[in-house]
Amino acid sequence: MLDFLQTLSDGVLFGATYALIGIGFTLVFGVMHKLNLSYGAASVGGAYCGLMIVKALLGTTPAWLVFLGALLGGGVLGWIVYVLCFHFIPLSNPLAPLMSTMGMLLLIDEVIVHLTAGMPQNYPAVFDDVMLRFGEFTLRGDLLVVFAVAVLCMIGLLALLYRTRLGLATRAVAQHAVAAELCGIRVARVNATTFVVTGLLGGIAGALIGASVGALSPLLTTPLTVKGLIVTVIGGLGSIPGAIVAGLLVGGFENVFQQFRGVTERDMYVMLLLFAFLVFRPGGLFPAKS
Amino acid sequence: MDFYFGLAQTVGIHTLLGLSAYIVLLTGQVSLAQAAFFAIGAYAAGMLTVLAGWHVVPALGVGSILGAVTACAAGFPALRVKGLMLVVATLAFGEGVRLFFFNFDYQVAKGEIRVGPLGGEGFRQIRFFPEHGWATGEVMLFIWVFVIGVMALLWWFDRSRYGAVLRSVGEDEVAAQSVGINLTAVKVSAMTVGGAIAGAGGGLYAHYTTHIEHANFNVLLATFAIAYPIVGGLRNVFGTLAAVIFVQAFLIEGLRFLGDWRNLLFGALIVLAMNLRPHGLFGRRGA
Repeated sequence: MLDFLQTLSDGVLFGATYALIGIGFTLVFGVMHKLNLSYGAASVGGAYCGLMIVKALLGTTPAWLVFLGALLGGGVLGWIVYVLCFHFIPLSNPLAPLMSTMGMLLLIDEVIVHLTAGMPQNYPAVFDDVMLRFGEFTLRGDLLVVFAVAVLCMIGLLALLYRTRLGLATRAVAQHAVAAELCGIRVARVNATTFVVTGLLGGIAGALIGASVGALSPLLTTPLTVKGLIVTVIGGLGSIPGAIVAGLLVGGFENVFQQFRGVTERDMYVMLLLFAFLVFRPGGLFPAKS
Repeated sequence: MDFYFGLAQTVGIHTLLGLSAYIVLLTGQVSLAQAAFFAIGAYAAGMLTVLAGWHVVPALGVGSILGAVTACAAGFPALRVKGLMLVVATLAFGEGVRLFFFNFDYQVAKGEIRVGPLGGEGFRQIRFFPEHGWATGEVMLFIWVFVIGVMALLWWFDRSRYGAVLRSVGEDEVAAQSVGINLTAVKVSAMTVGGAIAGAGGGLYAHYTTHIEHANFNVLLATFAIAYPIVGGLRNVFGTLAAVIFVQAFLIEGLRFLGDWRNLLFGALIVLAMNLRPHGLFGRRGA
């Protein structure tokens, strides 16, 4: 029982990073009704940016500076993805952005491989020597930091969406782009801003994953993309609370199955969970009202 | 010369994969499960020739039927969800099938060695072609018989009532439904035909590489499957063929002299192509 609780809590804490990635997918989908397949790669790319820029400038890698660099790198990458994959493609075409972001995923992956010669890079962890003990039950300090930072990011994002003019404009475009344009909102600018905001989140998510795994590798991008998409669908496309809950759920779920069934079968059960949702509750946890 | 025969084999197999996604895309559905049907065909046909000692043609037939049955079975629940949800659902289905083969062991002793699929190590020794003395050129012709057959079939579909129904669902589901078209039947039938094509393609792939493993059938292959028809445009089957030649012969083989830089250019060229021709290289112009 204690093992189970321990595994579950570790998984839920790590699931916070899935939640962040899921929010990125869901936000872009909510605003533009498009899927940005390159988001997972851009997040890892942002984390790499932070690491490499700080390393090149200072020679050492203090964790907080690396995190800041990852945040900014992610934002810039988000904007680049918007310009290259969405800005010049007609909005009415659903297939072309799917393909262009796929090309972008491959491109970001290859740039990373090219710059690091394919070697995994060590990533600075924070509080990895801290352990909170409650009798036999422990909480890893670095996972707690991951969870705390992720929660802060989510609160920041919700405040941005529901307490600022920019958030109001974003929600207006999400509801009805044409009506929003008629009210004088610049839709293209709101779309670009959405990509920058999701990019900032992605950069943080990438850095958190790097910190909790201890290393970054371009091999992380595909599983991260798949998990992020699963979280998005389980949570309900376009729903931010849904992505958060689903991220934690998937994190806990996969860690429990990894414990009981081994690492090779783990993801199979995550796919089954998704299929169960698609069959019995296709709208996800928090279906969009329409 | 064998190099060009080998390239023609690759182009042929990828064309089959692309065409299996093409017919599904005609109905406006984006399926990332084509690699899974391809994998099922590959493992089934490989096991039949290696373990059961069948001839390759009936083995391909069974692979194709299994691909079609799986596609039909996966189609019903998956097609309840629309658009981007379907992308994710089929992506997850594809990954699920890949992980199944990652954990799938079925080995039989044959002479001194044990043959058959062995989990993560894959399925070696699918040696029907070398054992029966088929030359590379003959294998290439064999593959292209299938490719031309499938292309002719889809060409004929496009010119028949069925093709018009497929495209009408792809253009506007509500309009199609209001003239009495059964959307589920059309979508599931397109998935089934796509599954059959992918299954046959997978069987051919298994026999031409002689070694398959779960990693061959990953998300990247699934993306390639939909990339060919999208990059080539959905106007007719030749767009898919042209896109396969563009990607496999030009981007992958033709740019090999660039070394590491080829991979960088690969993604960039896809991004560029979609910006310049959002409806595909050979699709219609305008929005």
